[in-house]
Amino acid sequence: MSSVSSSIDVAPGAIDCARQVPGPGSGGSGGAAGSGGPAESRRSRARRLLGGKRLAPALLLVPAIVILIVIIGWPLVQLVVVSFQQYGRAQVFGQAAPFIGFDNYTRVLGDSQFWQVLARSFLFCAVNVVVTMSLGTLIALLMTRLNKFFRALLSVGLLLAWAMPALTAVIVWGWLFDTQFGVVNYVLTQVTGIDFIGHSWLINPISFFAVAAIIIIWQSVPFVAFTIYAGLTQVPDEVLEAAQLDGAGAVKRFRLVIFPYLKSIFVVVTILQIIWDLRVFTQVFALQGIGGVREQTSTLGVYIYQTSLGTGDYGAGGAIAVIMVIIMMAISIFYVRQVIKEVEL
Amino acid sequence: MRKKLGLAALGVASMLALAACSSGANSGSSSTPEAANIRVWLNGTDTPQAARDYLKTTFESQNPGSTLTIEEQSWTGLVDKLTTSLSGSDSPDVVEVGNTQAAAFTSAGAFEDLTDKYQDLGGDDLLPGFVTAGTYDGKFYAAPYYSGARLVFYKKDLMAASGLTVPTTLDQYISNGVTLAAANPGVSGIYFPGQDWYNALPYIWENGGEIATDDNGTWKAGFESAGSIAGLKEVQKVMTTASVAPKDGNETDPQVPFCAGTVAQLSAPSWVKGSILAPATATAPGCPDQEANLGVFALPGKNGGAASVFAGGSNIAIAAKSAHPELAYSALKIMLSDGYQTILGNNGLVPAKKSLASTLGTDDVAKATAAAAANAKLTPASPKWADVEAAGILQDFFVKIAQGGDVPTLAADVDGKINAILNG
Repeated sequence: MSSVSSSIDVAPGAIDCARQVPGPGSGGSGGAAGSGGPAESRRSRARRLLGGKRLAPALLLVPAIVILIVIIGWPLVQLVVVSFQQYGRAQVFGQAAPFIGFDNYTRVLGDSQFWQVLARSFLFCAVNVVVTMSLGTLIALLMTRLNKFFRALLSVGLLLAWAMPALTAVIVWGWLFDTQFGVVNYVLTQVTGIDFIGHSWLINPISFFAVAAIIIIWQSVPFVAFTIYAGLTQVPDEVLEAAQLDGAGAVKRFRLVIFPYLKSIFVVVTILQIIWDLRVFTQVFALQGIGGVREQTSTLGVYIYQTSLGTGDYGAGGAIAVIMVIIMMAISIFYVRQVIKEVEL
Repeated sequence: MRKKLGLAALGVASMLALAACSSGANSGSSSTPEAANIRVWLNGTDTPQAARDYLKTTFESQNPGSTLTIEEQSWTGLVDKLTTSLSGSDSPDVVEVGNTQAAAFTSAGAFEDLTDKYQDLGGDDLLPGFVTAGTYDGKFYAAPYYSGARLVFYKKDLMAASGLTVPTTLDQYISNGVTLAAANPGVSGIYFPGQDWYNALPYIWENGGEIATDDNGTWKAGFESAGSIAGLKEVQKVMTTASVAPKDGNETDPQVPFCAGTVAQLSAPSWVKGSILAPATATAPGCPDQEANLGVFALPGKNGGAASVFAGGSNIAIAAKSAHPELAYSALKIMLSDGYQTILGNNGLVPAKKSLASTLGTDDVAKATAAAAANAKLTPASPKWADVEAAGILQDFFVKIAQGGDVPTLAADVDGKINAILNG
């Protein structure tokens, strides 16, 4: 069976590994910004290895490649196979699955709902990324100004939000926004004097996505804030001081000094956010169970789940998943190339 | 590592010691299958605690050395969960499945064939509608577990304050609901959350509509028919003028608003009485102080008598991939035994055996349950019906109706979607 359930995991998995690979590279470039020494010597050592024993690095990669092939490659192959088959619940339990060529793909691409879902996912992703990046950067800048105690307090708060399981977060936020008994409606009624009790936040797609965005952004800001804060500590104080003496204000200093220093980090984090927010599943899926209209609020991940597990049409679900993997791979390749470019600079 | 082995050995030794203690009375019977742990999946809180305890104790005394674990699953998303777990290597042994969902799994070969055990389990004494739901292609896969009919629970004081009596026709029930809602701001005259499609079915059936009909192997969805449209308009009237329930809420835990005092009439499965009267310390607290104020009647039909309501309930089956089918069958047999089914009956669930109907008792709930059960109907008998449910098509449809959408347009739209799935 797992060929199918894992099909949903494939895209995220593939992305996660792509994210692991260039990790050290980006760290290296960050280090290079601070002090040229260590990165320099690491690079020359790598060159020596390549020149001397060409096989050694390849051999070192073997275990990782084997694991990748088993964990990600095989389910991905299964996914592609299923997307070309007529695959329903009976096939899950062992019946033969006939191949039907591109039927699943033509069905999916000819369905207007698929295009709606795709457009909705990209729009939702764009909003999430912009807000997450802005908030994360502001909090990181704030952390550089705080004293030790408040910085620790803020870090703990961020860590708690980050550590909370997504499903738990949705349930708690769902309670806050509950139609009948929610705190949000109660407070709004008390503050504005307008009766908000009984107002459903999820029934309107726009406010549904607003609630979903709050939950997702709340949980992804900590990562952005910590990463950028780590980068900020690498910006040499002397340069900032010099800029200040030359009369650059806070905004100018950020734009002309800090941002160029941290450009590679911003690029990496932004692309990671794009990938994460595009494949968001738990938050939207769980919120749909609380309220709202599924048809108007499905994003790509949820749509794949509903098509395959919900209606038992695993073939079409597989086709959508393959399309999603291709989109994700396009973004990943762009991301890896960007990182390599940064390293080469 | 050595430490771990030592711990494991200690664990095994203590388990053996425990097993020896519990099997003292039965020692000597060696024909029993190899001892193992059996996993039984029950859904939601419908099965009362007394029945769970009975199942575990009886099973473990009948099968010395074996243990039985009850794992509670959520009704929401159950079809997905069963599909993934029953096909995997970590399959549970005995599973409960909604009666309308059973066909999806019997037709796919997910359950073990119980045809030769039909007589042993109760034979013709089993509820016929549920036997049909558990049968596919002439083979019996899933036994009836319990049934339940939907009743209307109401607050006696609110009815009396508005000078109303128990309704005798569906129209009177609706107008009572509108009156109660108007007289008590913030209170639902009839509690009707938008996703609750089960409660919308009687309005459609009483007006002569159908969900879908089988026309020589081709399914034809029926929400567009004149009868259905009339029923759907009544549903919309109740949702928009008699109910303050969330327009996109679902039907779970109706005792919460009921006990919070924001519901005058509540149409719900018969076992919800237990939830309403559950102690305030329960995980889903009820309001036992309302017992004297709690009235109940069977939903009246268009022309008097009991309306056709949705027959909720469950089937139980043994997973085809169960590693211990013999032990699983032993557990399943206990769940269909008179002792176990009597506990269900005493808790407002219609027992799986017709001969045990009297265990429901003689109170108002029992009488109303009997009246409703006699007229209960099922959803279309298609293996793909579960997909319609799992896709949330009906939930979306009724949420849009609750929002005041145009009924004929929405009905045409939903019919197209149902046709596509049932005939796909």
